[in-house]
This record gives sequence, C-alpha cells and structure tokens, in this order.
Amino acid sequence: MGLGLLASRTLKTSRILSSQYSRFRPIVTKPGLQSPDASAAAPATQPEPTPPPPKKPVGGARFHFTNPDDALEVFVDGFPVKIPKGMTVLQACEIAGVDIPRFCYHSRLSIAGNCRMCLVEVEKSPKPVASCAMPALPGMKIKTDTPLAKKAREGVMEFLLMNHPLDCPICDQGGECDLQDQSMAFGSDRGRFTEMKRSVVDKNLGPLVKTVMTRCIQCTRCVRFATEVAGVQDLGMLGRGSGEEIGTYVEKLMTSELSGNVIDICPVGALTSKPFAFKARNWELKGTETIDVTDAVGSNIRIDSRGPEVMRILPRLNEDINEEWISDKTRFCYDGLKRQRLNDPMIRDANGRFKAVSWRDALAVVAEVALQVKPEEIVGIAGKLSDAESMMALKDLLNNMGSNNVWCEGTGTSPNADLRYRYLMNSSIAGLEKADVFLLVGTQPRVEAAMVNARIRKTVRASNAKVAYIGPPTEFNYDCQHLGTGPQTLIEIAEGRHSFCSAISNAKNPAIIVGAGLFERDDKDAIFAAVEAIAKNGNVIRPDWNGFNVLLLNAAQAAALDLGLVPESSNSIESAKFLYLMGADDVNLDKVPADAFVVYQGHHGDQSVYRANVILPSAAFSEKEGTYENTEGCSQQTLPAVPTVGDARDDWKIIRALSEVAGIRLPYDTLGAIRSRMRTVAPNLLNTDEIEPAAFGPSLSLDCSQKISSTPFKAAVENFYMTDSITRASKIMAQCSAMLLKK
Amino acid sequence: MAFTLRSVKVPPNSASLEEARSRVFDFFRQACRSIPTIMDIYNLDDVVTKSELRSSISSEIRKNSHVTNPKVIDLLLFKGMEELNNIVEHAKQRHHIIGQYVLGRQGLAQDLDTKDEGTSDFLKNFYKSNYL
Repeated sequence: MGLGLLASRTLKTSRILSSQYSRFRPIVTKPGLQSPDASAAAPATQPEPTPPPPKKPVGGARFHFTNPDDALEVFVDGFPVKIPKGMTVLQACEIAGVDIPRFCYHSRLSIAGNCRMCLVEVEKSPKPVASCAMPALPGMKIKTDTPLAKKAREGVMEFLLMNHPLDCPICDQGGECDLQDQSMAFGSDRGRFTEMKRSVVDKNLGPLVKTVMTRCIQCTRCVRFATEVAGVQDLGMLGRGSGEEIGTYVEKLMTSELSGNVIDICPVGALTSKPFAFKARNWELKGTETIDVTDAVGSNIRIDSRGPEVMRILPRLNEDINEEWISDKTRFCYDGLKRQRLNDPMIRDANGRFKAVSWRDALAVVAEVALQVKPEEIVGIAGKLSDAESMMALKDLLNNMGSNNVWCEGTGTSPNADLRYRYLMNSSIAGLEKADVFLLVGTQPRVEAAMVNARIRKTVRASNAKVAYIGPPTEFNYDCQHLGTGPQTLIEIAEGRHSFCSAISNAKNPAIIVGAGLFERDDKDAIFAAVEAIAKNGNVIRPDWNGFNVLLLNAAQAAALDLGLVPESSNSIESAKFLYLMGADDVNLDKVPADAFVVYQGHHGDQSVYRANVILPSAAFSEKEGTYENTEGCSQQTLPAVPTVGDARDDWKIIRALSEVAGIRLPYDTLGAIRSRMRTVAPNLLNTDEIEPAAFGPSLSLDCSQKISSTPFKAAVENFYMTDSITRASKIMAQCSAMLLKK
Repeated sequence: MAFTLRSVKVPPNSASLEEARSRVFDFFRQACRSIPTIMDIYNLDDVVTKSELRSSISSEIRKNSHVTNPKVIDLLLFKGMEELNNIVEHAKQRHHIIGQYVLGRQGLAQDLDTKDEGTSDFLKNFYKSNYL
C-alpha cells in the first residue's frame, strides 16, 4: 500500500464524516432571532445606521391617493414610504423598491397566502408574516433582509423542493422558472431530504396546456385564474396535505378561450405549452414586441422567434387593452404561419393549374389585364388582416385607375365611414370597467373579442354590473340576461316598452355594445337608429361618459373605415371584370362573373385562391411593419419578427410595384412616404398607442327611413378558433375546434 | 495534371507590369486547358459549354482589369491559381462550380431584363428582394 493510497483513504473517510455531519446539520437557533423584543432593542442601543438611498418601485408599481387622509406611512428596511390604506405589506415593499419573493401571490388574482415564500419580519410581531396577505398598518416596521426572513425563505424553499422533481434539464420552464430562480437566490445550498419524492398523475387539459403535475407546488394560481378571470369552474384543488393536487374534478378538458394564460402564471413547469413542448429554450429566442391581428382588440404580444421560425407568442403588458392576458387564438395561431404559405408569384394556365413565374411576369400580366377593363369594372377588396399602409396603397391604386370600388371585407355593403363614433368602441376597453349596465346587441364578445369579454367579466365581478344581450342564445361566463333574439326586442327597448329600459335609465354609466356582425345586415341603418334612440333615452352619451360602443371583428376594419375604404356601389362585385383581393378570404366569390380576372395578393393559400387567376405572395403580420387600429381607435404598429417566406414581398410594395408596371406610378417609395400620405387622410393612424376619440356624437346622425326587418340576429363568428387565413391554416387551431367547441 | 499544378511554387514577384500581364495570359491559358478535365470531373456537359466556362473565366479576370500594381496582380494571380488548383483537384463539389461559374454571381435570380431601363430604383429593388 503506497503512501498516496493511504492519503486518499484518509481523505475519503474524512469526506464521509463531513458529509454525514452535514446531513444532520443542526438547525441553528439564535436567541436574538427568537425574541423580537431583544432584536428590536439591540439596534436601538447602537448608533442608527444611515438608511440606503431610496430605491425605485419594482416593475413600475405606482398608485395614486384618492384621498390624502388615506395615506399611511410604513418603514421598509428603515426607509419610510407613504402608501394608501388597504395595501398589503408586499405591495408596500414593492412601492419601496424591495422585491419580495413569491409564488402564490399574483397582483391580478385574489390572495391565497399558501406558499409562504413572501415571509418578512415585522417588528413587534412574534413570527414572520406572510406579506402578501398582511395589510400594512401605520408605522409598521417591515424588515425584508434580516436573518430571520432569510431563514424563513430558505426553510420554505426546502419544503417546496422536497417534492419537486429535479428534472430542470428536460423541463420547458427551464430558464424562466420562478422556482429555479428563487431557489438560486434564496434556497439552501444543500438538501437534507433522502426519502422518495411523491409523484402525481398528469391531467389532460386539452390540446393547449401540457401538465406535469409532479412539478406542481400547489400555489393555486391556475385555479384562481380559471375561476376569477376566465370564469370557468374547470380547475380545482383535491386532497389535503401531501396528497393535495390540482386537477379537474372529473375527466374534463379546460374549455376556456383564455386557458393559455395559465401557462404564463404557473411559476413552475407544471403547466406548459403543449405545442411549444421541447421545441426551444427561452434564451435562444429573439423577442419582437408587436401586435396581434387575429381579432379587433389588437392585443400586445411578443413574438419569440428562432431564426426564420416563430416559436411562440406571449402576451405583453398593456393595461388599456389586454392587461397581461391574451386569448388562445392569439397565443397558439402561430403554427398557421408555417403552413399553406404562398412562396412564389403564380399564374393559372389554360389547364387551370398554377405555375410559378417571376415577379416581373406576374406584374406584367396583372397590369395588362387591369388596363384593358373599364374603370367601373375594377374592384378591390382588402382582407381582414391588412395593415393600414397597404390599404392606403390599394385605395390610391384603384382611384388612380378610375375606380372607387374598394372596401374592406366585413364592413358590409354600405358602411358608414363618415361618423367615426359609429364604428368604434367609444368608451374604450379599459373604460368598460366604469360601466354598471351592459346591453349587448347582436354580439358575442366571448368569441368575437375574448379580451373585451374578460374586461366585461372583470367589471361584473368587481361591481356586480348587470349584463343583458339581444341575439341568439349564447353561453356567457358571467350572469347575463337574455332579452330576445332579434330587432323586435331592440325596438321595444328603443320605444320604452321593455322592462330593461328602467335598468338603463337608472344606471350611472350604461354601456351599449353593438356587434360588427350587424354591418352585414341590410337594415343596419335602422338598427343603428334604434340603438341610438336607446342611447338617447338612457342618457348613454354624456360629456363625461360615452357608452355607445361598436365591437369590431377584424384587425383591419377600423383603419379601413378611417381611410375611407367604402364601395361606391353595393353590387359592384357582380359586374366586376378585374377583382383585386388583398388577403380577402371571406368574401363570397360566387357572384363574381366567370370571365372576371381575379388577383389574389396574400400570404396563405386559403379560400379565395381557388378562384384566383394570379397569386402575388405577400408577408404575414409577423413579417412586416404595419399599422393596425383596434376597435377602440387606438393605432399600433407591428414589427417584423421573422423574414418573409420564399419570394414574398410586403403588401404595400407589391401594390406600389404594380402601379409602376401599369404606368400609374404611386408617389411613395418608402414606408415613411406612405405614412405621410396616410397623414393627409387619417392623421390618427400615425399617433401610435394613443386612442383618438370620435369627434362627433349622434346629434349629427341623419334620420333613417329604412324599415327594420324581423330576422333575428346571427352569430358573427361560427368558430372562435378559425376566423382568418392564418388560424384556418393552423393545426393547433383545428385540434382545438375539434375538441373544445361544443357541438 | 493536379500534381503538376500543385507543385508550382510561389513565383518571384513580377518585375514590371508587362511581366505581370504576360503571367495573367499564361494563367488564362492554363485555366482554359483544364476546362475539359473540369467538365469531365464535375459532370458539367449538360449544364454548360466549354466556351461559356471560358468566358466566365475571362470575365472573372476582367473584373480586376483596373488593377495596375504588379504586386496586387501577383497576389490575385496566386489566388486564382489556388482556386484553379482546388477545382482541378476535385476539392469542390458540383454545386460550387455551378453556383459560382455557371449561374454567375447573381445566384438564381434570372429576373434580369433589358426592358428595365426606364424603371425606378424601387421597382429594380422590388424584383431583387423584399429587403432592399
């Protein structure tokens, strides 16, 4: 036996000894920590250390005092901070700029106080307190950085990690996991746990949310989100103690249009995105802050991409529009951006097959045909996903050709684009929270604009607002009174014969929401006149409150009406010889004459492509910079996250190039130039992220002599998950509509 | 063939522009002589003719026709010889040759047309790419 071997042996034994010792590491108790009086007295004798300079509030936390008497002063780590009455200790710490670790607390959900991670020390309190559930009291001395608080957090971490699997390398939350981060920051550097970890059966929540329930730390954020924000009673807590699990009580899928948000609020990897599972790590993704276009809300989103591929879509905080939630359609439609894409310009040959050609040839063919037909036989239709710039270019192009038959799909045959208040949500999405009575006319906000519906639900929960609707019987996720199915009920209310009139007139801030599906009706002017009569009788429009709202369906609608995309004649499509579809897929093309030449400019091979003679491939919303105006009149801009597919070009560039080939050159070469052209038509489109309120109230509206028909209102959206060319191409959306829609 | 080319040492610098010029012609001849081998080993008979390859070699040389410094010409010659060596030794693959010398530097964009004379820069850029 050599000397080296001996030495290594002694080393080994000593290591074993030390590790054994560390396994039975005693929990050190310091008498100074146990008796708060002693710890409070101790620093008093010493000279007071100078408090650190004030920190900035965490995450831009702010508040305003409605009443100066309500202010109270607390001390966070020795620094005085003024807060309004009713705030919790945790919120006070946030105002003071101290971030308290937490798992169960979420500012938009009710307080559970069950994770115990947010323990802080409060002077004269015998035990550390859970700061998320403790109201701040005047003169409270909160200490967030004391040995007691640190020890408490370390202990909580140890208990949480006791049953948490060590599968971070294969966990999709890895890199953005609260538990991971906080165990690095506050956890112990070793574990004392030697027994088996518990395991929990995974639950099937549907095609969107993947569950690994063993990872769950029972923070109950998802349960509270489902019951409070989403308004479905699908998730709950089962069992007690170590047998506690989250689950659906019976074998059931989570059928909410907001279910994807539980992925974001889950602090660990228990609920993750099923389509995103094992696809990418969050640190290899490039985030682009942009706007959603699948509905008219214009939710703020972040597109995470890797190279040329969109990997996932996450919400971005915008208190005025989507708060921090997005709908499932917004979140999971991205796989539609990879399917059914149009790559090359194509021309249909004599056999009816498409043949890929160069841009030069395609534009030459289109220009030649366009110049041969009569100006009044030229028709242009913008699609529901079009940006304002390309719609401006389309209108200019067709006007230069001598035609004025250009409109945006979904706005009906004779849209009223002169009175801006008639197509906007005048009380704004955030303003709906002030309303106390809602009358929904021919709209189903849950499928038409899920974020607006979440706002109404929030109002109903907060202030017990009354909601009633006229339209086909629908499911709502809040209490809702069904008044009738058709315009008859509307007239009864307008003439004051209905029992709901008193509810409107007694309300402080009544809100009427009219669905944009009514734009397609022939008697829409009469319906709007009836709604305006209700608004007038119920004093809905006042200088301080405008409760007359139109809920639009498509991202392009508001901007199209602002830019004046209004058809000259209502039956122009029947006599069209040259039809230019800019991404318009939901137009009924049956009436188009057989000899008409149809150009389809768009990014997906969707419904209209079957009729098209020429295809011009363009960029999807994730690939271009464009302006979109949402239903409340707030214009926002998208940014390109990924490069375009194949030989596709930006929409406005195609129209600009076509105009030059056709010999009627449009006078703009850059996005800046086309925006200054837009400024002359609709300057509000350039004031991004600002709501431009409608200028005139209904006093300007003309009397309507139209006869109201008795046809009941129809549902505007058949299938929430598939409404446009992107979502129709998406496999995930197809799975959702197969599994989650109620038949 | 390959080994004879490889054995060429770095030649002494050209003393004058005339010497450099004659070396360029020598290089061109040498390249032209290796064209049949290149056509053979890269199987180029059905995509290009010998004369097309010759003209693409000469156009590569003519690209540098503005150079008058003999030292620079020597360096360019060396690089050209290196490239020729690589090609003849089959150190490249077929698509390298096709991409570089058959289709030319324009890549696959065969969208060029003489009709473009009167068009604007916007339209020319539009035909090339979305990002110009």
